[in-house]
Formats: sequence, structure tokens, C-alpha cells
Amino acid sequence: MLKSKIQLKVFWPLYVMAIPGLMFLIIFKYIPLLGSVIAFKDYSVFKGFIDSPWVGFKHFQKLLDYPDFVRVFGNTLMLGFLKIVLVFPIPILLALMMNEIRKSALKKGVQTALYIPHFLSWVIVSGIVFDIFSLSGLFNIVLGWFGHDPILAMQDSAYFRPVYVLTSIWRDAGWGTVVYMAAISSIDPQLYESAMMDGASRFRQIRHITFPLLLPTVLVLFLLEIGNFLDLGFDQVFNLLTPMTYSVGDILDTYVFRTGIQQAQYSFATAVGLFQSVIGFILVFIFNRLSKKVSDGGLW
Amino acid sequence: MFESRGEKVFVTSITTLLLLLSFIAIVPLLSVISISFSSKSAVVQNLVSIWPKEFTLDSWSYIVERPDLWKSFFLTLGSTVIGTALALFITALLAYPLSKPEFRWGSVIMIGVVIAMIFKAPIIPYFLTVRGIGLYNNPLVLIVPHILNPFNLIIMRSFFKEFPKELEEAAFLEGSGYFRMLFQFVLPLSKAVLATLALFYAVVIWNQFQTPLLFLQNTDWFPLQMKIRQFISDDNMIMPGAASTADFNFNERTLRSATVIFAILPIIAVYPFLQKYFVKGAMIGSVKG
Repeated sequence: MLKSKIQLKVFWPLYVMAIPGLMFLIIFKYIPLLGSVIAFKDYSVFKGFIDSPWVGFKHFQKLLDYPDFVRVFGNTLMLGFLKIVLVFPIPILLALMMNEIRKSALKKGVQTALYIPHFLSWVIVSGIVFDIFSLSGLFNIVLGWFGHDPILAMQDSAYFRPVYVLTSIWRDAGWGTVVYMAAISSIDPQLYESAMMDGASRFRQIRHITFPLLLPTVLVLFLLEIGNFLDLGFDQVFNLLTPMTYSVGDILDTYVFRTGIQQAQYSFATAVGLFQSVIGFILVFIFNRLSKKVSDGGLW
Repeated sequence: MFESRGEKVFVTSITTLLLLLSFIAIVPLLSVISISFSSKSAVVQNLVSIWPKEFTLDSWSYIVERPDLWKSFFLTLGSTVIGTALALFITALLAYPLSKPEFRWGSVIMIGVVIAMIFKAPIIPYFLTVRGIGLYNNPLVLIVPHILNPFNLIIMRSFFKEFPKELEEAAFLEGSGYFRMLFQFVLPLSKAVLATLALFYAVVIWNQFQTPLLFLQNTDWFPLQMKIRQFISDDNMIMPGAASTADFNFNERTLRSATVIFAILPIIAVYPFLQKYFVKGAMIGSVKG
């Protein structure tokens, strides 16, 4: 008791400083997190998070019965899978290549060009993409050079997935290299020197030194990516969707927005959101186990 | 250093490939820029690829004369400047005690911060909470939800932890308290991390789309991204009551391109000044975060 009084007397400014930030965390992070209980309730605006009546798993049952939900969940899995397989490895390759440029001015130029798209909002990116794929856009100009008829790609469900993957790569792959470049820069240069003494070529140095030492970082980022497996980015999909691409592009995030915000089915939409988080968490758990088995690395 | 022929070929081909990729990365931007500076007829005839044809400022002069666009622009700029400053202030205020071993609640709060970072609340309870505290249809919603980001907080805390103890002890002996310490000694010496986090916060606030989409009904309070989304999806670039584009040297497409470029000019303008900081800052975050 006495001890904590002294503690407060001397260190009170530290406690005062922390108050605004803590208030923020409570209001904008914890209350919404705890508010997720409305997935198990029939939420009423007048009763609020606490007093709305409990209904058990009703909304989860409803969600599994909806044909709409099954389609949307399938789309989300598909895009998540494509993101892991096609988008995730690109920054690693780019970083390994960028590391081989020895002229620093050139390296900086390449970095600048590859980073810039990351700073554009998805609204802007989609504006650019819609323009490029418009009838007289760059895409159709190039197709024209090969004597191909123009294609309205953004209005064609067959093109939605490629567009999603390509825009993900275009906007974020360059930026994704930052972490890997940091990891590469912390590798001991002596390793390379002794490898060179042994006559190892550049390519062999990448294969036997850079890449293996980069693997732990890759693993951690992979696990984080798996955790966000179903979190595809609302802004991106929402802005790239058109009514014609709904069948393949409608995902959990856009579905929650429509049912929850626009149709005010608060409890049901929260159940969908919670379902998404729980699956993400289970996936991280499984893959963390696996990665601990194959190597020592893991998130915990 | 000796380099064999094969090595040189290897490095040269990688460099060439990367230059090609860099070019591909900026081609879409170049294409949109060229269209915004090209005449309507050149655009309609598909003559514009990545270089303006029949150079004209007509679509730009139409854009810069629109009062509603400037209103959105200044609203976005204002909320970005104020929001970023406030965010740095609040983040520093919490990061500083968290970097001190004598702050008793530190470890408990850190666990809370990490939980807040990993578990994202579903959007609906978030929406209901933010609406509940009166931020619905309130322009403050463009600022308040962004003033603390757990990830940025952790970066700043790691940076403060590296701060040399001797300097602080000397200041303590001269009788300065924690507040003076933070604002007079620690923050002025933390420019690298402040610049990095300023960029992170500013980009988020400038680019925000989901928050205004969820919380702003009144089109008077639409930030730039919402405004542009309207232009792109509604085809209503031309102000109501104005003559059709038939009489002018621009069309929907050149206007839309000019608007897109208009909205990214500030980012492009500050980018070169901040680049050296954010690479460093992102490394601090990635290695220790």
C-alpha cells in the first residue's frame, strides 16, 4: 500500500501521460471487441450491447443455411488462396534481386518506383485500373497491337481474380520488400567474404547464404499472412467490384457491409465477422504448430 | 574485387529485369497523367499511351475551377495535418511511459496493446460503438479513430527504449520532470521515428475510404477519396446544370484522370523528402516489432 503511494507520488506524470492513449484503446478497440457478443444476441439499438437478449447460435446457424453465404465464403477462400500462392512470394523474389544491385543510385531509383504505388488509396488505384481496362484504355491499345478485339475486363467475371491478384502485386509487392531488405542487411558480411574465398558464385551465395538466413523472416510473415487469410481488404475489393463481377468478387467484407450496415442486420453481420476472425485464428494456430515442427521458428 | 564474366552477366540481367519492373510499376501512373493532359479527340481515337498527345490543360482547368473538389481537398488536407499531429502527440504520450521500466503498468498495458493489434473487432460492433459516441455524420470521424495505432505505438516505444539513459539522468538532476523530458529532450532527438510515423499516419488519414463510407452521409463532408469514388462510379463528373462536354476539349475520361492525379499530388510532393526516413523507420519497426 505504502509502496504504491510512493510510486504514484514520484511517477504520476507517467500515469497521466498514458491516460489519453488508454482511453482511445478502450473505446476504439476493446469496447468493439467485447461488443462482438451481439453475434449471440438479438441486438436492439435501444438496449445496446449488454441488455439485448441472448439467442445462442441462432445467427451462426442462419449463416450456414444461406446459399448466399456459401458463395461469398467460397469467393473469400479463393481470393485468399490466390493471395498466398501468387502474391506472397513476389516481395521475397524482388528483395533478393534488389540486393544484387550494387550501384546505390540505381537501387534507390528502383526502390522509389516500386514503393510509390503503395501510397495510393484503393479508390485511386481502382480509378487507374478502370481507366486502363476501359475500351480505349492502355490494356486494349496493347491488345490492338496484336490484332485482338477489345475486352471490357472490369465488367467480366472471368477477369476479376486476375485483376485482384495483379492490383495486389502492383500496389504492395514493392513495399513488401522493405522488411526483407532489412533482414538481408543484418546478415553478417563475413559470411559472403568467406563464401567468395571458396569461389562461390553470386547465385550460390543467394542460394546458400541469403535465402536460408531470410527464411525465419519469411516464416513469421507467412504466419501473419495466414492469420489474415480471410481479410482481403475491404477497400480493394469494394472499389474493384462491378455488378457484373459480383458472382466471383463478393467477399465476406463486402457482404458484411451490405447486410450489416446497409440492411442493419447487426447481429447477423457480426456473426459473419466473428466467423471470419475465428477461422483466421484457427489457421494461425495450425500453421504455427506445423512451422514449429519443421523448423524452430514460429509466432509463439 | 575480381568478378568473372558470368557474374557480370548475372548482375546485369537482374538489374535490367528490375529496371523493366520499375518501368511497369509506373506505367499506369504515366498513362493516367498523359490522358489528363491530352485532348479529347486524341483520347477518343486511342492515340494516347504513356505520352500526352495534343497537349492541353483544358481538363485540368475545369478541375481546378470546381469549388466542391477544392472543398474536399482542403477538408482532407486539414484533417490529415491536424490528425497526424494529434496522432503523433497521443502516440508519444503513451509510448514514453511504456518505454520506462519504472512505469508499473507497462507490461500489462503492452499485452493489451498487442491484443488490440492482433484481434480486429468485427466491423459492426465497431460501427455501433463509434456511432454511439456521436461520431456518426460528424466530420471529426475523419480524425479521431486514427489518433493511435498499436503497431506505430510499438515502433515508437522501441525507439524510445534505445534512448541513452545518461542524457535523461542529467536532465533529471537539473530538476526537469517527465513532461519536460519528453517534449524538450526525447522528442526533438526522435526526428527519424517521428517523420516515419507521420508519414504512416498521414497516408492512412489521407487515403481513408471505409471510415467516411461507414460514417458520413452528408456529402458536404466527403473527403477526397469519397468524392473521387463518386466521380468514378456515378459518371457525374460534369456539374449539374453545366453544358455537356460536346463543346469542350475534354471528356469524362480526361477529367477523371485529372482528378485522380489531383488527389495524389500531395503524396507525390512530400514523398522524396520523407523517403530516407521511412525506409529507416520501417526497418526499426520490422526488426524489433
